[in-house]
Amino acid sequence: MTLPLTGVRVLDLTQVYAGPTCTRILSDLGADVIKLEGLRRMDITRNFVMPENTGKGDYWNRSGYFLLRNGGKKSITLDFSDPEAVELVKRLVPYADVVAESFTPRVMAKFGLDYESLKAIKAEIIMISLSGYGQTGPWRDFTAYGMGLEPASGISSVTGYRDGPPLRTGISFTDPYSGVVGAGAVLAALHYRRRTGKGQYIDLSEHESAIPVTGFALMDYALNGRMEPRIGNRSHWYAPQGCYRCRGDDDWLAITIRDDTEWEAFCHATGHPEWENGRFGDVLGRFQHHDELDELISSWTRDQDQMEAMHLLQTVGVVAAAVLNPKQVLLDPHLRQRDFFDMIDQPDVGARPVSRQLGAKFSAFQPDSARPAPKLGEHNREVLQGILGLSDEDLARLQEQKVIGDTPEGAVPLDVMRMFVQWPTTTFLQMGSIAGLDEDYREQLGIGGNEK
Amino acid sequence: MPDSALAGIRVVDLSQGIAGPYCTRLLADLGAEVIKVEPPEGDYARRFGPFPDDIPHPDRGGLFLHLNANKKSVTLDVETQSGRVVLRKLLANSDVLVESEAPGVMASRELGYEQLKEAFPNLVYCSVTPFGQTGPYASFKGNSLTAMALSGLMYITGDPDKEPLCTGGEPAEYFGALHAWVAILAALEHRSQTSAGQHIDVSMLEALGCADEYNTTMYAYLGAIRKRFYSRHAIPTYPSEIFPCRDGSIVVIGGATGFPLMMAILIEQPEMENNPLFQNLWLRFMQWEKFEEVLRPYLAEHDWEDLLTRAQELRVPFAAVLDARTLLENPHLRERGFFEEVEHPELGRVPVAAHPFRMSETPLRVRRSPLLGEHTHAVLAEVGYEGEDQLVLRERGVT
Repeated sequence: MTLPLTGVRVLDLTQVYAGPTCTRILSDLGADVIKLEGLRRMDITRNFVMPENTGKGDYWNRSGYFLLRNGGKKSITLDFSDPEAVELVKRLVPYADVVAESFTPRVMAKFGLDYESLKAIKAEIIMISLSGYGQTGPWRDFTAYGMGLEPASGISSVTGYRDGPPLRTGISFTDPYSGVVGAGAVLAALHYRRRTGKGQYIDLSEHESAIPVTGFALMDYALNGRMEPRIGNRSHWYAPQGCYRCRGDDDWLAITIRDDTEWEAFCHATGHPEWENGRFGDVLGRFQHHDELDELISSWTRDQDQMEAMHLLQTVGVVAAAVLNPKQVLLDPHLRQRDFFDMIDQPDVGARPVSRQLGAKFSAFQPDSARPAPKLGEHNREVLQGILGLSDEDLARLQEQKVIGDTPEGAVPLDVMRMFVQWPTTTFLQMGSIAGLDEDYREQLGIGGNEK
Repeated sequence: MPDSALAGIRVVDLSQGIAGPYCTRLLADLGAEVIKVEPPEGDYARRFGPFPDDIPHPDRGGLFLHLNANKKSVTLDVETQSGRVVLRKLLANSDVLVESEAPGVMASRELGYEQLKEAFPNLVYCSVTPFGQTGPYASFKGNSLTAMALSGLMYITGDPDKEPLCTGGEPAEYFGALHAWVAILAALEHRSQTSAGQHIDVSMLEALGCADEYNTTMYAYLGAIRKRFYSRHAIPTYPSEIFPCRDGSIVVIGGATGFPLMMAILIEQPEMENNPLFQNLWLRFMQWEKFEEVLRPYLAEHDWEDLLTRAQELRVPFAAVLDARTLLENPHLRERGFFEEVEHPELGRVPVAAHPFRMSETPLRVRRSPLLGEHTHAVLAEVGYEGEDQLVLRERGVT
């Protein structure tokens, strides 16, 4: 089956979250993605989320976090501290269509791998740099972590409870967001190259890519000089809207009621026709008495099962949805029917549900998303010998010199990493940062596991 | 004049609201010709503020400008047979169609993919909805809030003792827009090899689900159900939080090298370098309240720019908590030219977010959004409708 990027090769120097999201999408669309790691610099996410929380043996080949972002890619290890490794990367460039990297600006230049240098090797190369704040400007040398970029992009200023402080999403929002933007930028560059034969350089600032999400707030300031307050789960345009407690410890229902028709349907479905008229009977009344409406709605939802209430309201045309926890998401019938999760059989781990990386279904092809993640250095021979023609002796020498390999060197003290490799889930449960710990999770998900 | 990446690509955009329009905005920024086909009363998003002085007007919405820069506007009632005749003429030399109706609506108008594909075999047809075209929730009504709720991302956002929180700014719409944009570009690549169009079914819920960092993975690997905890990461690094400071807020992140020495220097208490809370990551994670007793008073005495500058000089990865004003005034963004001013006949000069990414050969462009029906005459003339025909269509409410 032809995929959109069949025949396109990507040299992937990105790591962690944003860059790998970008290159994973390209990989799922058919590109041959060669991920470059270093023995002293393997992708740090290889340390996160171990099967059955056991980090034994070659744990770096079994990480769940790494699989999610790197399934389907190839892995080679070339340690940049060795000039011969840098030379090998340069020798790979003629075989690549795209080079992707996510270092702090100037690192690639330091190794002679900036765009001008790569263009001299291959004129039509497309290069994308994903960085925190971009390649230019007073903030370009800032050390950028994903946890800081969502607030820096303005999104946190409009996220939070009413009268509360700015908050962040429970994921590093700008990382996957900018990764998807990066995939689109590369596709646009490939389209242009097909038409003109020209490559180009893409400077993607994760900060900038996410700022448009705050468009409403930006425009209110630009037009009215007014700052948006945080409105919790309310809407700028519809009332009532909110998140209402249901029966149970931590079960909630999100509801939006937009017009008179939906309000009428809501009143009848909940058995409260008396709410339909009077001071809630029109849009202005509902807007003005939002606080009181929230109480009324809660008085109904608190006796309801969140899923039953969602279905009841949706049947009569009201916008409502249960707030699902991650376990419920995995078991959700809609997402299952949509094949949202691929079952990926990762070596030494067994089959696990892994969410796709592109929220789109195509009628003419199926993205190749259900492939395992590569072991560290798994494709050293395939790439260095298969593409560059290095001999067995060359490979053996490079291995001995620890330029290439399959076992990470201790760049980050293993003690520190130990805490990440095996998570203190009982402590998390006591703290309250996890809501539950199921011993029978594999039965619940219908998967077996290897007890390694 | 620099070239554009999608020069020659033509998009007929029937979508309304946020997700479909932001998708086509990105296509337009890349140089595609985007013809926004609106009902005669306009995209419903023309009703949304913010408006100058809060006075509604279909051509003065700020969000509308943000979402629809670079496009043309044609008014057409595609619920009528006559409107569909005109639309088919527009589709004849178009590459992409984007729509955001509830599943089944386009088919009921004889404009579903199955109904159009024979006449327009090269057409890339993209549908964007909250939950997708199929599945038990396909008939559900949705929006950004409900997509966030079903994605699992809402459950993990907010304070543990309060209700789950939705990220501000309609994030599901923007994520859906991005995935639709990428999918359309992918389908155009595919078409260059196969010469065929196709149907793309984008779900905002799934676009959000794709963004998940490790939450479903935590259950699939550990049986742990991650819960919201002040937006703290499950990976036990601490701090990486937003704290109040004297003149606002600041993101305090220690990072890989910030503890113990750099943080101690930053808060001007070098003796803290030897404090167990500064030395030991795990202790700090567990006794975070004690740690905050040391940190908060210092932050309360200092301004965010000073804290940010000094921290970054020490290579401690603090970050700013910017809002609309500080974004528009930010020197870094200003030097990079992120915002560009456009001249709008109804709004005057307005700054618009212009460069979500930069391409060296084909820079993104930004021009103002269209007035309602501004290009109806020109676009219809291009596909062969003479003056009198256009008058007839207009008088009969077709355009």
